[in-house]
Formats: sequence, C-alpha cells, structure tokens
Amino acid sequence: MDELNNIAPKLSKIKKDNPFKVPDNYFDDFSARLQMKIDAENAEPKKKENKIIQLIKPALGLAAGFALIFMLAYWPLNTFTKKQMAKNNDTELETNEMLYASMVEGIDLNSFYVLLDDQNGEVHFDDDDLVDFVNTYSSDYEIFSETNN
Amino acid sequence: MSKNEINLIANLKNEKTRELAFQNLVQQYQERLYWHIRKIVINHDDADDILQNTFVKIWKGIDKFREESGLYTWLYRIATNESLTFINSNKRRSLIPMNDTSEFLMNNLETDTYFDGDEIQLRLQQAILLLPEKQRVVFNLRYFEEMKYEDMSKVLETSVGALKASYHHAAKKIEEHLTKYD
Repeated sequence: MDELNNIAPKLSKIKKDNPFKVPDNYFDDFSARLQMKIDAENAEPKKKENKIIQLIKPALGLAAGFALIFMLAYWPLNTFTKKQMAKNNDTELETNEMLYASMVEGIDLNSFYVLLDDQNGEVHFDDDDLVDFVNTYSSDYEIFSETNN
Repeated sequence: MSKNEINLIANLKNEKTRELAFQNLVQQYQERLYWHIRKIVINHDDADDILQNTFVKIWKGIDKFREESGLYTWLYRIATNESLTFINSNKRRSLIPMNDTSEFLMNNLETDTYFDGDEIQLRLQQAILLLPEKQRVVFNLRYFEEMKYEDMSKVLETSVGALKASYHHAAKKIEEHLTKYD
C-alpha cells in the first residue's frame, strides 16, 4: 500500500470493496453445472469419429447433385442431340441424291437431245451425266446392242 | 507449495481419487478464479463461461501439469489466458468496429446489471478499462487480489521488474484519470 500512497494518493484512498455482484446461489450451483459440461465434453469424442464424414458430407452431397443433373439432363440431351445430328446428315444426303435422280429421270428424250445440240446453252452435261441418263432410259440389252453395232 | 496443495495434486494425478480431488479443487478455487476473470471481462455471463472453460481445461490437462510451477499459479495462468483469448476473439467477431478492447469492455461495464458500485468505483473501473491489456491484468492482480510479484511472474511469465514497472505506470494513469474527473 505504501507504494500506492506515493504514486497515487487518490487511488489509495478508495475502499477496495467489490463493486460487482453475482446471481443468487451462483457459487452453490456452479459445481453441478460444471459437471454437466465436463460430461458433455467427455461424450464428444464419440461424435468426433464421424467428424471427417460430417466435414465432407456437404461436398459429397454437392457432387451427388452434379452427377444427378448430368445423368438426368446433360447425358440424355447430349446423346439425343448427337443421334439427331447424325440422322439429319443422313436425311440431307438422301434428299440430295433423290433430287438429283428425279432431275435426271424428269428429262425426256427430246429435251435431252435439245440440250445436247444447244452448244451455246448455259446447261452443260459432262460424261457422268450422260452415263446416268443412259442408265436410266436404256436397258442393259439396248446398251449392249448399240455398242456392238 | 503448501501440504494441502501437494496432497491435492497427488490426488488429482491418481485416477482413483481424481474426481473427488477435482471437486475439492473447484470448491477451493472457484470464487477466486471467478473474480479474477470477472475483473478482466466485466460481464457476469462471459465470466461464467470462461470459468467453466478454465476448469474443463484444468480437468483435461491435469496429467500435463508440471508440479514445479505450483497449482495456484497454473490455475491463474489458464484463467488469464482464457479471459484474454475470449476478449480478443470477441473483438474480432464484433459487427461494430472497435478501436480497442477498452471500448468493448466499457460497453460491458455500462450494460452490466450485476454492477453495484458507487460513482467513485465506477470511475475507478472505467480508468482500469482504459489501461493496456497487460497493465490491466497486472493492476487487478496486485491491487484487488494483492498477489505477490513472484507469483504474478509465474502466472504472466514476465519478470518481477517488468511487473513492478507495469503496476507503477498503471497506478499513475488511474490517478490521472481520477484527478481529471475530481
């Protein structure tokens, strides 16, 4: 106290009464409450065994969710789209071939000869076109007999 | 170390007598540790939580206790560390930005329903809360609990000389604060 008298005379005059209070029976009940807390802490290690699973559980859930979305939406959509595109390509090819065949078949003999004679016309036939035309309008026998004459 | 303390430590280290010895330890030290913690954190509910955590740590760490430090100083060291950790973590968690710990503790003091002091005691507590953390703990241990500097040195792991200087500075600052409002 002497050290305080010299450096802080006002402080040394203040009574050292405790200005703080506690609720009634606080210290009587404390032991029992502490025991409950310790029991709860002792029970905790059992839970800790599953702590890793508890930690990765949200991540696992998220991964499962993504997998489900992939299975239900992306994968069928992707597969269906690929098949549809392949089908569309085949159809396009078939349509082009059919169009070409119908064009060749649609030309009658007179029109064909006119087209052959028309040297200045814009439409020109190459050898393949001629072969196609002959194959369409002449049988194998006719072609054979014509080529042997 | 007293004979009673030596016996208590021996019983705490023995698994067969541990639970009963721990109950004795709680009965012997609960009030002293509570008031030490309460003067650091001010609020009763916080002091209650910290006191429970302190005893849980003591219960769990009794095997690690090295007898050369003394049971009494070991208990005070755990209680002090728990209190300071609580204040710092609370300050970090607070949504309201606080300049320093004093602001948080001053708020605790103003809203504390279990404060029963008169005006001069309130001013003294306010002056104590304005001190830096270490000075505040040193002042409380020396002024209110009249702890020896040698024991305090073991609790706070600081030299006796540094503690004396710290107490001297703290007392001077409090005196200045009290004079200002006189």
